[in-house]
Amino acid sequence: MRIRAALGGIFASAAILGIGWQFGSAAAATFTKQDTAPSTNTTSTGTSTATASPSPSASVSASASVSASASPSASPSASSTGSVSGTFTGATESTQFGNVQVEIVVTAGKITDVKALRLTDQGGRSVQISNYAAPILRSEVLKSQSAKVASVSGATYTTDGYLSSVQSALDKAGL
Amino acid sequence: MSTLTRDPRRNTQRPSAAPDRRADYRRRMRRSDVMVATLWASAAAAVALFLVYGGAGKFGTIGDAITSLGIVAGLIGTDFILVMIVLAARIPLIDRTVGHDRAIAVHRSLGKPALYLLLAHGVLLLIGYGIASGINPIAEVGQMLAIPDMPLAFVGLGLLIAVVITSLVAVRKKFSYEGWHLVHLLTYVAVLVAVPHQLSVGGIFAAGSFERAYWIALYILAFGSIATFRFAEPFVSSIRHHLRVKSVTQIAPGVVSIELSGRRLRSLRSAGGQFFIWRFWTGRTWWHSHPISLSSVPSDRAARITVRNLGTGSNAISRVPVGTRVWFEGPYGVFTDAGRTAPKLAVVVAGIGITPVRAFLEDSNLRPGETTILLRASTNEETYLWDEVVQLARDKGAHVYTMVGRRSSGRRAWMPADDDRRGVTLRSVFPDLKNSDLYICGPTPWLDLVEAEARANGIPEHQLHMERFDW
Repeated sequence: MRIRAALGGIFASAAILGIGWQFGSAAAATFTKQDTAPSTNTTSTGTSTATASPSPSASVSASASVSASASPSASPSASSTGSVSGTFTGATESTQFGNVQVEIVVTAGKITDVKALRLTDQGGRSVQISNYAAPILRSEVLKSQSAKVASVSGATYTTDGYLSSVQSALDKAGL
Repeated sequence: MSTLTRDPRRNTQRPSAAPDRRADYRRRMRRSDVMVATLWASAAAAVALFLVYGGAGKFGTIGDAITSLGIVAGLIGTDFILVMIVLAARIPLIDRTVGHDRAIAVHRSLGKPALYLLLAHGVLLLIGYGIASGINPIAEVGQMLAIPDMPLAFVGLGLLIAVVITSLVAVRKKFSYEGWHLVHLLTYVAVLVAVPHQLSVGGIFAAGSFERAYWIALYILAFGSIATFRFAEPFVSSIRHHLRVKSVTQIAPGVVSIELSGRRLRSLRSAGGQFFIWRFWTGRTWWHSHPISLSSVPSDRAARITVRNLGTGSNAISRVPVGTRVWFEGPYGVFTDAGRTAPKLAVVVAGIGITPVRAFLEDSNLRPGETTILLRASTNEETYLWDEVVQLARDKGAHVYTMVGRRSSGRRAWMPADDDRRGVTLRSVFPDLKNSDLYICGPTPWLDLVEAEARANGIPEHQLHMERFDW
């Protein structure tokens, strides 16, 4: 009798774990797909866009002091396309902890500001991570004038989403 | 003609009420196996929640792996806690299947694993998150406390540690039952204050997800069971049956029989040998509840319990005035005829353990020669209800042996020294032990010795039925 209970428990557990694992890998697959193929629903606008910020707690923008120190470092590559100006909205990137979307402000071919429209916000821990990571990513992007910056440790998902969105905005700006 | 064919059939079924025991037993065991399998499966489901969330892919770095293990530990630990609450809820289906004492044994065995898992949950996540943000785990505590709902979660874990420590047997002995029970009730608080952080801090139970619905359903099941079977049902039942103390009779020094009067008591359908948890509404005793068996089968308007002064509480209830209002929870337990699995019946009973046995014998349909009873007492003064049991045995064709005297030593200490010297064994009293259901009732240390000797004689597990006097 006890053997039957043990076997029943083992098989039921294995079945449940198997189902959970299948769902989990299916979900992971959709996230990678969305990452590689940026969504097309965002349109580039030459002037400033009015975008509602969906999650107030997550869309904390960086302090002003960082942008002031970052602006003098103009990269030489920017001069070739120096005429571009405006606000460009990046693609929405899905991550497991929520969607990430940024917009960049370009003045005369230089990124002068990065605003987070949406940050990973699923769960209090996730909000804490994005609030911590976003200012760092912003200053790094302004410093390097590109989306090719080092990942913020402990905030891999936020970093990936953030930089992908920055890259898609840069593509729209033609930078 | 039809009456002629019907009558003999009824007559042939009547004397052999026993043959269904095998089928009954198998049915109970099937239910029990399903319950055990469900327990396992619920733990697996907790892990599966993490897998659905993509957990299998979150072991890439050391920090991630530690964090993932921490989350899994929290999920399983919480699942165990909820299972423990369900087991302690005295759900009738569980009680009828394995008995309340077995359910509580499983409940207890899950206590320490649950605590360790939840401690691991806290420690692993502090380390894992600490590695992720490049700070030490102690500093991470500050970080975590900044997240909404986390302070409550820390409080919950603290309470849980307090509860488990006070529940460990060694510490428990220093508390009164009520003190311990009051602390134990803090578990509900500990479990509930941990809920917000589960739903808000991680992403597994995102709003609107199936996972969240499942998790909340588990909580509702656990707390709903407690609310229903520990509070609502006993309350309604107590009001409805309207029990009051009718008389208190001293039957031996320190032992009283309390007659209770009530309404429609048969509808409780209590089987002989079951116990109730009683609460006597007097100024001194209302805060104290006692698990006590009925000492006879109740009529529709009257029931009887027999109590020995074991602790301060039962000392007080032996002096309750006539007319005292009595509340109860129950009936509970499978120390009844329904637990039978074997063709013969062996009963060993000591001291006040006689009470459930007295009711059990009265309620059992026994064939002549089927039953052998062994009564044990230290002195002639402690032979409570023996006259009634002997009378019942005479009516039902059962053999009765008695053992009176100071106990022997060592493994044979369950019997008097005189009988030990004469070479009496459990086997010599019950030659057909292997084909018998053995019902044992008495103080725990004594019972353990009888049980050990029965097991040494190779009695199958399912033929052992025990009622211990502890809580």
